[in-house]
Amino acid sequence: MKTMKVSFNVNSEDVTLDVRPYETLLETLRERLFLTGAKEACGLGACGACTVIVNGIPLRSCLVLTPEVEGATIMTVEGLREDGNLHPLQETFMEKGAVQCGFCTSGMIMTAKALLDRNKRPTKKEIVTTISSNVCRCTGYKKIVEAVEEAAKRMA
Amino acid sequence: MKDDLNIVGKRVVRSDSLAKVTGEARYTADLTFPGMLVAKVLRSPYPHAKIVGIDVSKALKVPGVKAAISGFDSYGVKWGVFRYTQDHAMLHTDKVRYIGEDVAAVAAVDEETAMEALARIKVDYEPLPAVYDPMESMKDGAPQIHDQYKNNINIHIHIDVGEVDRVMEKAYLVREDTFKAAGEAYAMMEPYAVVACFKSGYLDLYMPNAGPHVRAKALSNMLRLPLNRVRIRHINSGGAFGGRSEVAPGDLVASLLTMKSGKPVKLVLSREENATSSRQVHDMIATVKTGMKKDGTILAKDFRVIYDGGAYSSTGPIATSIPFYVYEECYRFPNVRYNGYRVFTNKGIRGMYGCHGRAFLAGNEAQMDMMAKELGLDPVDVRLKNGLKPGEMTATRSKITSCGLKETIVTASEKTNFRKRWAKPSRLKGVGMGCVAIMCGFPMGFRSGSSCYVKINDDGQVTLVTGLVDNGQGNESMVVQVASEVLGVPMRDINLVNADTEVTNLDPGAYSQAAAFVGANAVRVACEDARGKIVAIAAEKLKVKVKDIGLKDGAAYSLKNPDKKMPISWVVREAFFRGEPITGTGSFFPNIDFEREWVTRPWGQMAGTFSFGTSVAEVNIDGETGKIAMPRFTSAHDCGRAINPMAVEGQMEGSIQQAGVAAITEGNLWDKGYLLNPNLLEYKVPLACDMPDMDTIIVSSRDPAGPFGAKEGGLTVRMNAYSAVACAVANATGELFSELPLTPDRVMKMLERKKGVK
Ligand code: FES
Ligand code: FES
Repeated sequence: MKTMKVSFNVNSEDVTLDVRPYETLLETLRERLFLTGAKEACGLGACGACTVIVNGIPLRSCLVLTPEVEGATIMTVEGLREDGNLHPLQETFMEKGAVQCGFCTSGMIMTAKALLDRNKRPTKKEIVTTISSNVCRCTGYKKIVEAVEEAAKRMA
Repeated sequence: MKDDLNIVGKRVVRSDSLAKVTGEARYTADLTFPGMLVAKVLRSPYPHAKIVGIDVSKALKVPGVKAAISGFDSYGVKWGVFRYTQDHAMLHTDKVRYIGEDVAAVAAVDEETAMEALARIKVDYEPLPAVYDPMESMKDGAPQIHDQYKNNINIHIHIDVGEVDRVMEKAYLVREDTFKAAGEAYAMMEPYAVVACFKSGYLDLYMPNAGPHVRAKALSNMLRLPLNRVRIRHINSGGAFGGRSEVAPGDLVASLLTMKSGKPVKLVLSREENATSSRQVHDMIATVKTGMKKDGTILAKDFRVIYDGGAYSSTGPIATSIPFYVYEECYRFPNVRYNGYRVFTNKGIRGMYGCHGRAFLAGNEAQMDMMAKELGLDPVDVRLKNGLKPGEMTATRSKITSCGLKETIVTASEKTNFRKRWAKPSRLKGVGMGCVAIMCGFPMGFRSGSSCYVKINDDGQVTLVTGLVDNGQGNESMVVQVASEVLGVPMRDINLVNADTEVTNLDPGAYSQAAAFVGANAVRVACEDARGKIVAIAAEKLKVKVKDIGLKDGAAYSLKNPDKKMPISWVVREAFFRGEPITGTGSFFPNIDFEREWVTRPWGQMAGTFSFGTSVAEVNIDGETGKIAMPRFTSAHDCGRAINPMAVEGQMEGSIQQAGVAAITEGNLWDKGYLLNPNLLEYKVPLACDMPDMDTIIVSSRDPAGPFGAKEGGLTVRMNAYSAVACAVANATGELFSELPLTPDRVMKMLERKKGVK
């Protein structure tokens, strides 16, 4: 099968891979790099479970073709820890009880991280609007919003 | 009961959450094994058709294909929860009964190859007339979906207590209404997936499931393998909500493929397949007739409920009964008749749902409010008057032990200033209240109980072994917390081995609200057994009486003189010296009447205990568009003691989303046998921006038999939130709903009806 060579940086590591031209970033991350934190819950951009950060922007990796990310810098949930320490969002998601089944969690955290990276002090409304890009079937979102608010405080 | 608890009752961080926030938690689709194949399923394009032949030979010729199977490779053993409902072979050789039904499957080295092979399977069908509406399906002359069920009636539950007709005639006020509701999508975020590995005659399986032991049993029957050769292993589950209680067609497909190919096989359903071909929720039509006294006392209820059962039995009689029971466990019905019919149609397979029965439950509650209004009564008073009290019997003779129903009604109404607002609703604004009770477990024969094994390791750390399963609600963390309390060992020092049929013992699973009351109780008993052994040695060594020993922070100490202490690890080492390592076993079997049978003997003790809850919804209706806004939602839940209040709140909040907001937005849409909204773009799961402000109130009633007084953590909200919404809309419009969800067009019709009356 015809493949394409693609190079990018993921979680601070440079990788070069031969991928199928129609391969999604989600497939590449999960199946070639074994970064299975990003999940496929809908495969058509409706749920955000597959969200990763590409060049600072949260993207639905099920909608991105891997050849499109040539040269990009990508962060997945696996790359969030710094020097072994949890990211404040990871801490507050745990402490506030924002995690139930966990299937939406990586995507939620990555969406929230991208928000906090560009807006240090988001209002509650901004948080709600932003995470409304992601579906969670378990929590009713209240504790997720609280976790993001608390993380913003800690990062301030 | 001692109340000076160290950890039970605290808002602890769930033991499973670290792996989930780091992305390290493994779900089925994340697994890879050497040589693993990808499976794909060929599905029926017809709602009803005779299978004339299936030819997989061309598929097998595609390079890279390692196995191809159909029903002809299966034993044809039919699944059904009960002997009298065994009608689902999961891969059929006679006919297909719904669009999306599994017909054949392949396993290949990669997805492309599998897809190509699928296209080469040839199936000859002879289309048959089909039926999609349960009312049509029950008529004489309708297409028969199964030969053995006359008029396509899968199950008829008939309950008759007292003298309904006579009393109804004498009642001061009688009202009869019919309510409909579309089935919802479970929409658990993880689409169904399974990994199956057959090696040396043993079949290992990973899939999200709500009861590994029952599933292993079902598969051992279907595959004609001894039970010890079918091993369901532990894996994280991305939500279930009732949709993963039973064996799934994919379990059989993946098992046959791995057995044929000798290689591990992974099957992952797409979101659409998850909706069309894993389980669905019953659509229903409920007719509710109620006779009331002038003072609001319910004298008689007469119910006729039709459940659209889809193509197969599934949990048949249970699904046909539960809405009735959760209602009769809440209110006093001196005379009551229930006729529940589960009817086959040519639609996807249906199972139980956490929010099962919304047409019936919301219909009853909203009708009660209309009657209260007519009688000049307050709905809070009517609920308090008819609500069951501790020590009372339900209509079908279940004894209520601990019961905080009254407290939930009072707290929820006070918190929302309910009485005043209900009596004088401002224009197009309304409040509504819904109540319900939930059985914590139900009869499942010898599988109704749970057992646990615990060992204390040489460094004082603990390993718990239990069949209890977690689908995201926090069951795993809950039992770790219970063990921590009993053993005085911090949660981080307790390892859990669970839901793995090879090592764990029977457990009722996570679909009958038994995890806390039954599963955690068994853990408590096992840990108390081990605790007794620790305490005995510690007492001897510290020269203190057994009853004066406490366990805390990994140490045994004298309650009278806390400076006198020793680490539990020393106790454990001493026990090793004595050749009696510290282990504990324990089980819990709820007090249930096992003569009870869903169809033939629908009376007797249903469960060891019941939880109670009241929800209050506040709605504003846009008179121009019919759109409902829900600014606030309040729920009070009697969960016994909350083991982890934060987890209980999370369950309540999730329920407000999945039952409350869903009452406005969610429903499967059908065009004959086609599901029109199988994906998450068409089927709108409520988002953060759709949520009301939520106030969750935990009412504690300390159940005498529950572990530390616990019952179950939040399901009442899942079965009363839609009632609160329906009642609030009735309060705002003065009209009863006729169909859920309450979409703008339906609300507009209600408003027009109201105008017409004026
Ligand atoms: S899986 Fe990518 S948005 Fe749902
Ligand atoms: S925690 Fe289960 S989907 Fe969000």
